[in-house]
Amino acid sequence: MVRQSTGLVFVLPALIVLAMLIAYPLAYTGLLSVSDQQGNFVGARNFATVLAARATPQAFWNTVYFVGASIVFQVILGTAGAILLNQNFTGRAIVRSITIIPWVVPGIVAATTWAWMFHTEFGIINYMMTAPGLIEAPIGWLTNRDTVMPVLIAINVWKMFPFVTVMVLAGLQSIPNDLYEAARIDGANFWEEVWHIMLPQVRSVITAVTLLLVIWGLNSITIIYAITRGGPANRTLITPIQIFRLAFDAVQFNQAAALSVLFFAVAIVIVFFYVRLVQSPSGGAR
Amino acid sequence: MGSVSIRNVHKSYGALPILHGVSVDIADGEFVILVGPSGCGKSTLLRMLAGLEAITGGEVLIDGQVVNTKPPKERDIAMVFQSYALYPHMTVEANMGFSLKLSRAPKAEIKSRVAVAAKSLGLEPYLQRYPKHLSGGQRQRVAMGRAIVRDPAVFLFDEPLSNLDAKLRVQMRSEIKQNHQRLRTTTVYVTHDQIEAMTMADRIVVMNAGRIEQIGTPLELYDRPANMFVAGFIGSPAMNFLAGNLQQSEFSASDGSKIALPDVGNINVDKITLGVRPEHFRIDLKGLPAEVITIEPTGAETQVMMRFCGHDVVGVFRERIDVAAGQTIRVSLDREKLHLFDTKTGKRIGG
Repeated sequence: MVRQSTGLVFVLPALIVLAMLIAYPLAYTGLLSVSDQQGNFVGARNFATVLAARATPQAFWNTVYFVGASIVFQVILGTAGAILLNQNFTGRAIVRSITIIPWVVPGIVAATTWAWMFHTEFGIINYMMTAPGLIEAPIGWLTNRDTVMPVLIAINVWKMFPFVTVMVLAGLQSIPNDLYEAARIDGANFWEEVWHIMLPQVRSVITAVTLLLVIWGLNSITIIYAITRGGPANRTLITPIQIFRLAFDAVQFNQAAALSVLFFAVAIVIVFFYVRLVQSPSGGAR
Repeated sequence: MGSVSIRNVHKSYGALPILHGVSVDIADGEFVILVGPSGCGKSTLLRMLAGLEAITGGEVLIDGQVVNTKPPKERDIAMVFQSYALYPHMTVEANMGFSLKLSRAPKAEIKSRVAVAAKSLGLEPYLQRYPKHLSGGQRQRVAMGRAIVRDPAVFLFDEPLSNLDAKLRVQMRSEIKQNHQRLRTTTVYVTHDQIEAMTMADRIVVMNAGRIEQIGTPLELYDRPANMFVAGFIGSPAMNFLAGNLQQSEFSASDGSKIALPDVGNINVDKITLGVRPEHFRIDLKGLPAEVITIEPTGAETQVMMRFCGHDVVGVFRERIDVAAGQTIRVSLDREKLHLFDTKTGKRIGG
C-alpha cells in the first residue's frame, strides 16, 4: 500500500498541471455554456440561440469544405513530395531543407505574406498573370465569393503539406532496400514500386498524419482569421472563427461556449469514427 | 533454362576496385556456388548478375546475350535474398504471384502456378498468411517459392540460409538441392560457409579479395587446392600448414623434424609449406612425437589439438584415443595425401 501512495505522489504534479490546463477550461466552458452573462443557470438556451443563428450551418459546411479539401491535397501533395525527395538526385539535401520552410514559417507571417501576394491591386499574383495576358483584368482573389475559399485552401495546403512530406519521407526511409530490389527483380517499374511497395509500407504513417491534419484543420484559425476574418459575407467563416468572433468581437462568451461544446462533440465523433476505421480488422495485416 | 558467362568482369566504387577481372562460365542447369570470406566481392558479383549493381568493365551474358545494361526484369532471373525480402503487406500467395501479376498474367494462371510451387514447397497451408506470421524456415521457403513461380533462366541466391539456425540450415540445404535436382534450373549461389558450398555445389568458385582463387568441383578443390588460400578455406577443421625447407627431397620442419615427401618431381624452391588435412594424421608408434594440447571427442571421431613439428595442428582420428592433455602421442602422416605449397607465392607445387 505504501508503494501505491508513493506512485501517486510521483504522478501528482503532472496530474495537477493537466487538470489545470485541460480539465478546468473544459469544465468551465461547459459551465459557461449553460449560464447567462450574470452566471445564472439558463439550461439549453444558449445552444438554441447559436443553433438558430444563420451563420452556424454555413460555418459548419465551410469547415467541412475547408478541412476536407485541405487534407486531400495536403496528403496527396505531401506524399508525392516525399516520394520525390526519397529519390537520388543532386542537390537533394538542399531541396529537402527548402521544402520544410512553409511549415517552419509562423502562420501569421505566412498568412500576411500570402494576403499581400493575392492582393487585387498590388499583389504579385495578379501582376504576374495580367502582364503576360493570362487574365485580362485583375481578379479579386480574396474578395470574390467564388475564389476566396479555394485560395485559402491553397494557402493552408502550402503551409501544411511539408509536414506530411517529412513524416512520409521518414516512413519511406525505413523501408528496407531489399524490398525495392526484390520488386525490381520481380519486374516492377517505378510506378509499380510506388503503388505496391512504398504506399502500402507508409500506409500507417499516412493514416496517423491524416488524423493529425483533421484535428489541426478543425482547430485552425490563424490563416483564415489573418486574411479574411471569415468574410466576404461569411464565405470563409469556419466554426472555430465563428466561435472566436462570437466570444471576442460580439462578447457573447456564453453562446461561444455553447458553440464550442457542440463543435467539441462533433470533433470527438469524427475522430472516433476515423480511429475505428483505421483500426478495423482488415487493416491489421496490410 | 540458361547458361551464364562472366567475362573479365570488373567493379569499382569510385576509385576503389572491388573486383579485378573475374571470369566464370556456368553451363545450363549447373549449380555453382560462389564462396569466399566477407568482402571478397562474391555478393557484388551476384548483384551484378541480377542487374542490381552496375558493371564497371567486362561482360555478363545470360543465355548467350550480353545483359550488361539490361534492367533486372529483362534478364529472366529470380533472386532469393538473405533477408528474404518478402513484401510484408502481402499474403504468401500474393508474394509468390507478384512477378506474374506485374507481367499481367491472367489471374487463373497466377493462382495455378502459385499453387503448384506452394505444393512442392509444402506451403499450401500458409498461402493466406502474412510473412510476419511465418517462421524463419517458412519465410525462406516462400522466398524460394517466389523465385520458382517465375520459372526463370537462372536462380540467384544471396546467402539464403545465414539467418536460419543450424538444424534448419541443414534441412533447407537439402531442400534447395532437391529443388535443383527436380527443376534443373541454372543456379548461382553465394555463401561464406564452405560446408554449404561443399555439400550443394556442382562446382565451386572460391573468391578472395576480388579475384577468383580456383574453380572446380567440391572434391577437386578439396583434393587438389590450387593454393594455400583455397586449401585453408575449404575443409573443416581447416588444413594444417607446416612451414619448413626442402632438404634432399625431404621436408625439414622449422624445428628440424624430417618428413618424407610424396614424389612430386623437381621442386625448385627452398621454402615450402606442407599442408596436412586433419584426417590424414595416423596414430603410429613409429611416427613423430606430438604433444597433446586439447582433446575433443565428438563421439564419431576425436579431434586432437597437438604440438607437432613446431606447429599447433589439429588431427582428426576415427578411433577413440585415451590420452590427456600434456601427454605425447606418436603420429605419422599419410604421405600420398600431403599437399606442398611454395611458401612465398602460396601456389601448389606438383600435380
